Amino acid sequence: MPSNRPITPSTLSVRDLPWQIVWDKDKCTLCGQCTAICPVHALELGVFRKRTVALPLGIIGAPPENHTQLFYGIRQKTDPAFACVGCAMCTMVCPNGAISPHRSDDMDKLVFHRDRGGLPRSRGGRRNTPGTVLDQIKFIRISMLTDPALDAGRHEFEIRTLLGRVLPPEDNLKFIRQNGWIPPVREIYPLMIGGMSFGALSPNMWEGLQMGVVYLNEELGMPVRISTGEGGCPPRLLRSRFLKYVILQIASGYFGWDEIIHAIPDMKEDPCAIEIKYGQGAKPGDGGLLMWYKVNRLIAAIRGVPAGVSLPSPPTHQTQYSIEESVAKMIQSMSMAWGFRVPVYPKISGTSTAMAVLNNLTRNPYAGGLGIDGEDGGTGAAYNISMNHMGHPIASNIRDAYLGLVTAGMENEIPLIAGGGIGKSGNLAANAAALIMLGASGIQVGKYIMQATAGCVGAESDRCNICNIGQCPKGITSQDPRLYRRLDPELVAQRLVDVFLSFDMELRKIIAPLGRSTSLPIGMSDALGVSDYHIAERLKINYVV
Amino acid sequence: MDDKLITISGKIDGIRLDSRILEEQIQDAVAKGYRQLEVQAFGQHGIGGRLWRAGSDPVHVTVQGYSGQRLGSLGFPNTLIEVNGPVSDDVGWLNAGAQIVVRGNAGNGAVNAMSQGKVYIAGNIGSRGMTMTKQNPRFPAPELWVLGSVGDYFGEFMAGGVAVICGIHPQCPDNVLGYRPLVGMVGGKVFFRGPHKGFSQVDAKIAPITEEDWQWLTRNLEAFLRTIERPHLLESLIQPDAWQLLVARTPKEKAGRQRRPMASFHRDVWDKELGKGGLLGDLVSSDRGPIPLIPTGNLRRYAPVWENRKYKSPCEASCPTGIPVPERWRLIREGRVDEAVDLALTYTPFPASVCGYLCPNLCMQACTRQQAQMPAVDITRLGKASIDAKLPNLPEITGKSIAIIGAGPAGLSVAWQLRLKGHNVTVFDLAGSMGGKMASVIPETRIPKAIITAELERVQSVIPHVHLRQQLEKADIERFQEDYDFLVIAVGAQKPRMLPIPGKERALTALEFLKQSKAGDIRSGKQVVIIGAGNVGCDVATEAHRLGAESITLLDVQEPASFGKERKDAEAAGAVFRWPCVTREITADGVILSTGEKIPADRVVVSIGDAPDLEFLPGDILTERGYIQVNADYQTSVPTIFAIGDAVKPGLLTDAIGSGRKAALAILHTIDHQIPEADDRSVIELRRVSLEYFDPRITEFTDVDSCGSQCSSCGACRDCGICVAICPQVAIRRMEIIPDGYEYRVDADRCIGCGFCAGACPCGVWNLVENPLVE
Repeated sequence: MPSNRPITPSTLSVRDLPWQIVWDKDKCTLCGQCTAICPVHALELGVFRKRTVALPLGIIGAPPENHTQLFYGIRQKTDPAFACVGCAMCTMVCPNGAISPHRSDDMDKLVFHRDRGGLPRSRGGRRNTPGTVLDQIKFIRISMLTDPALDAGRHEFEIRTLLGRVLPPEDNLKFIRQNGWIPPVREIYPLMIGGMSFGALSPNMWEGLQMGVVYLNEELGMPVRISTGEGGCPPRLLRSRFLKYVILQIASGYFGWDEIIHAIPDMKEDPCAIEIKYGQGAKPGDGGLLMWYKVNRLIAAIRGVPAGVSLPSPPTHQTQYSIEESVAKMIQSMSMAWGFRVPVYPKISGTSTAMAVLNNLTRNPYAGGLGIDGEDGGTGAAYNISMNHMGHPIASNIRDAYLGLVTAGMENEIPLIAGGGIGKSGNLAANAAALIMLGASGIQVGKYIMQATAGCVGAESDRCNICNIGQCPKGITSQDPRLYRRLDPELVAQRLVDVFLSFDMELRKIIAPLGRSTSLPIGMSDALGVSDYHIAERLKINYVV
Repeated sequence: MDDKLITISGKIDGIRLDSRILEEQIQDAVAKGYRQLEVQAFGQHGIGGRLWRAGSDPVHVTVQGYSGQRLGSLGFPNTLIEVNGPVSDDVGWLNAGAQIVVRGNAGNGAVNAMSQGKVYIAGNIGSRGMTMTKQNPRFPAPELWVLGSVGDYFGEFMAGGVAVICGIHPQCPDNVLGYRPLVGMVGGKVFFRGPHKGFSQVDAKIAPITEEDWQWLTRNLEAFLRTIERPHLLESLIQPDAWQLLVARTPKEKAGRQRRPMASFHRDVWDKELGKGGLLGDLVSSDRGPIPLIPTGNLRRYAPVWENRKYKSPCEASCPTGIPVPERWRLIREGRVDEAVDLALTYTPFPASVCGYLCPNLCMQACTRQQAQMPAVDITRLGKASIDAKLPNLPEITGKSIAIIGAGPAGLSVAWQLRLKGHNVTVFDLAGSMGGKMASVIPETRIPKAIITAELERVQSVIPHVHLRQQLEKADIERFQEDYDFLVIAVGAQKPRMLPIPGKERALTALEFLKQSKAGDIRSGKQVVIIGAGNVGCDVATEAHRLGAESITLLDVQEPASFGKERKDAEAAGAVFRWPCVTREITADGVILSTGEKIPADRVVVSIGDAPDLEFLPGDILTERGYIQVNADYQTSVPTIFAIGDAVKPGLLTDAIGSGRKAALAILHTIDHQIPEADDRSVIELRRVSLEYFDPRITEFTDVDSCGSQCSSCGACRDCGICVAICPQVAIRRMEIIPDGYEYRVDADRCIGCGFCAGACPCGVWNLVENPLVE
């Protein structure tokens, strides 16, 4: 900073920023890779002047001499607009290991200046709080020759769950007799890939995930399903047999739905299900906006809009203000679109009002399930305030919903699908199993999939989290081919396969000792324990120390 | 003792013995030396195992009746057990060497964890046979021979030993191996004969039967069949084609086990169903294939551009006259001192007087170097040198005729510019000499008379038609409009403002005072009070001091606006600045303030500014608050009449000269029917300039060369080549451009967009911009 530069209230030093670049002059070879890769231009070449004063020992009359040398190096910008996001791409590309960002050990001062132009900060990622209640839950019921002791490696497992309205047999018989129809039910893998739209994700990322899902189905016999998110669905996918692995999402922006409707006559297969999105765990009660610069020709074509315009998804469906309306309008109409052959279910944000929604769904045989997305869910873009402070944790929300169904004698009739920060600390299978035993029939994950299949570097220490600006350094959330071509769809697909296979093995390692191999331990809460008394009381699980 | 025989019954007095009692009796018999044992079994478990008390003597146990579970478990190599009938579960469990012959079927779990010995089953076995079997290298491998078939989950975690499944009267004719055999198999061999329905491909594989294998199999098969008393089957069994061999996959084979490669899936499943180009092949044709993290060419997100002279330097931008200062320093650096000096005359007729002496040098005030507390490049040196500047070649007068009213700096500036372009200019002035206030009012302490005289002479050599002592009236102006193509009013501000207070007639105006002092026909008083402490007031103070004043007081109603050399000189002359002071009255012996205070004075000078005297203007030239209204081109409400200098807006000399130049450009454009090219260059962002290259220990400049070398040349390339040197990709080249130019060019195919050129450029010429997306 020039010595005479005017200081402003937002003039910060490197020390005030959340991330500090540590650069080693001795190791640096001035190759330019770090400044070329930095997604936010936090780095630049600096010209530095080094002065030394030379004089012999003893004041012997020889005049001291000034020596000045110039050198070049990497300088971190302090302008808040260019603050380092800690993605460490510089470290990744540095041939000499000369540079890396480090999280400040002090409180971030940038936080007070991220409102330029009066706009509060928005970002991608998840809540900036590590750890969840789910991580604390342990599986305490180990079959020590009490239940059939199963071997996760040796026994056969068929880990499946049901999506769709599961009526009691007598009701089904009555339905068949009276209507010639029973609600459609799908047998699917309990770990689903949650809605991440074509647009929020790059084309290569989206294709990679879809390809991996098809591989899991067709090569490995795992009926994994993926939600499209709200951004339509590429025409070719709609007209392929792969559509049966896809859950089509409809949300408040209704993007791409005319293309889906036009494709119905050409569909070879029904989609797995229709997910009606009412809310998202990462930004409950708030909508989305795909910025105009991300809306290129491709996205425009898939979403059925002109290119270069911003695409708002409002927080609410404009014509619906109650679950009664929703059921009456959307669930029924969506069911009609595929001749009542496709399960339709709403997805809501985790909320203290989830029970009201569930109550209503129980009275409607068209309702194929309820997705609840908890506060730890991820997103490509949301206001920081929404992400960090809004929403309901998934654990107690799903537990209440399940116990509500138990009270009504309807447990497992309406599958509950839990989402929101599952696997946040890397414990995907443990978190998923805990939720299943709390009462979830299925689990939806998004961010974990991005981290595991595409190397997303975002973290709950506020690392990276720039999905919203289209500069994703891994090419996951960017629409710029110069970024998304960093991602090879095949390799994403391969990683997805690995993730599901390893998840499957881990899940077996949890449920085999419970003596379960072919039916999921949904609601098997006697197997759960936690060392926090209040959590135990709230979730009605064992308090163990 | 070998033939010593004992019969042990599992029932005494019709009561079945516990397995424990029967075990005690068998062990006791062996301890007593019996080596032939005939056991009448009634479902007791574990018969025939653990007979170590016989040492190396062979022990032969014959079991009649119904054996219980775990027959021969933990068996020793000395033991032969023959069962004349079927056995229950777990026969040969943990067998460590016994030979067990079962002349019937065996239940579940046969030979689980067997590590030595042979077990012959003359029938089928149940599920989970041959699981966890091992081979200890110290001993021969354990063997299981099954005449019929095996049950489900056969050979799980089998780690050694040989199983032979002959497939004679199998329980399931279509599957001799049962359901899901060999899960977790890591060692051993399984010979089998007959159909099967799969095995754990992950763990086991079909292997060819070698000659050695076959030899072993046929040799031992004969022994097996003989022992179980079915030798007649040998012939039908020794058909090599009917046998298969399963062996464990090696750890390496397991690690490298292949699912279908994703590339093959992509091509043969994905693209086949979706069409060429996969998911989006119908929507995009551009390449979506993988690229490296640091690409070149079109794939760079950012690219450098050489923006030489795209922006103004702060010095040039702040000079109202518009002198391209960095260009002059460039010429100095190139050793073209004369050109650097001469260049000034293109912009101003008074480079020495104004740049060298009288201008507050706005260029220096704006100098980027001051950002780093380094002294501004000293333009006054170049200004002073301009006294010797060579006149540009004057074109013949062929153009339009223009009348200019006022021979002050503004009027002479516009006349100068128009004459240099070959137009016929005529200058009129009320005074008896050229130069306006610059020549007549500014004290000689601020500029040597010789300098101003020389520059005025130079002007006169260029502009021959100067009419002095011309008192113009409205009618003259109207006549000029007929006689001349254009008229420029540059009359300055010659009407001093006076305070509306009692005794004002006792005061002199600053203009009168300075004119008279310069002309040498005034006496200063001893006690001088100057009302108005601006720069002109300071000049008055300095002159009063020169003329012998003993006390000088400057009054102002607010904090004085004076600055620079004028202020310093006044302070050096001992002038006292007082404010806020409102003057109520001027008396014969002083000034009375509104507070009632009286400041004694024998000379009072009012210096509160001058206003233009515009009495002579025709009414169609609009004015506002006493000044002539002009547009951005200094054009008045009458299109052929322009107005410049203090008549338009009070300002510095350089403002007056600049307005003359700009008006001249506007007139030239009008003459040529051109739309003036707007100079829309903005000022370069200071952060782009790197001052680290310059010596911070230079506190003043000794000559023009040091000035030139220390100029950062903001926005204009110094041709230093640092960019070429710093570029890690060797992507920048200097290109000569015929006839005498150059430019730096980027090879996009080498450049990675690192921005090092922009970071290193001392002048801020390089910029890193978003690279347009090429789809």
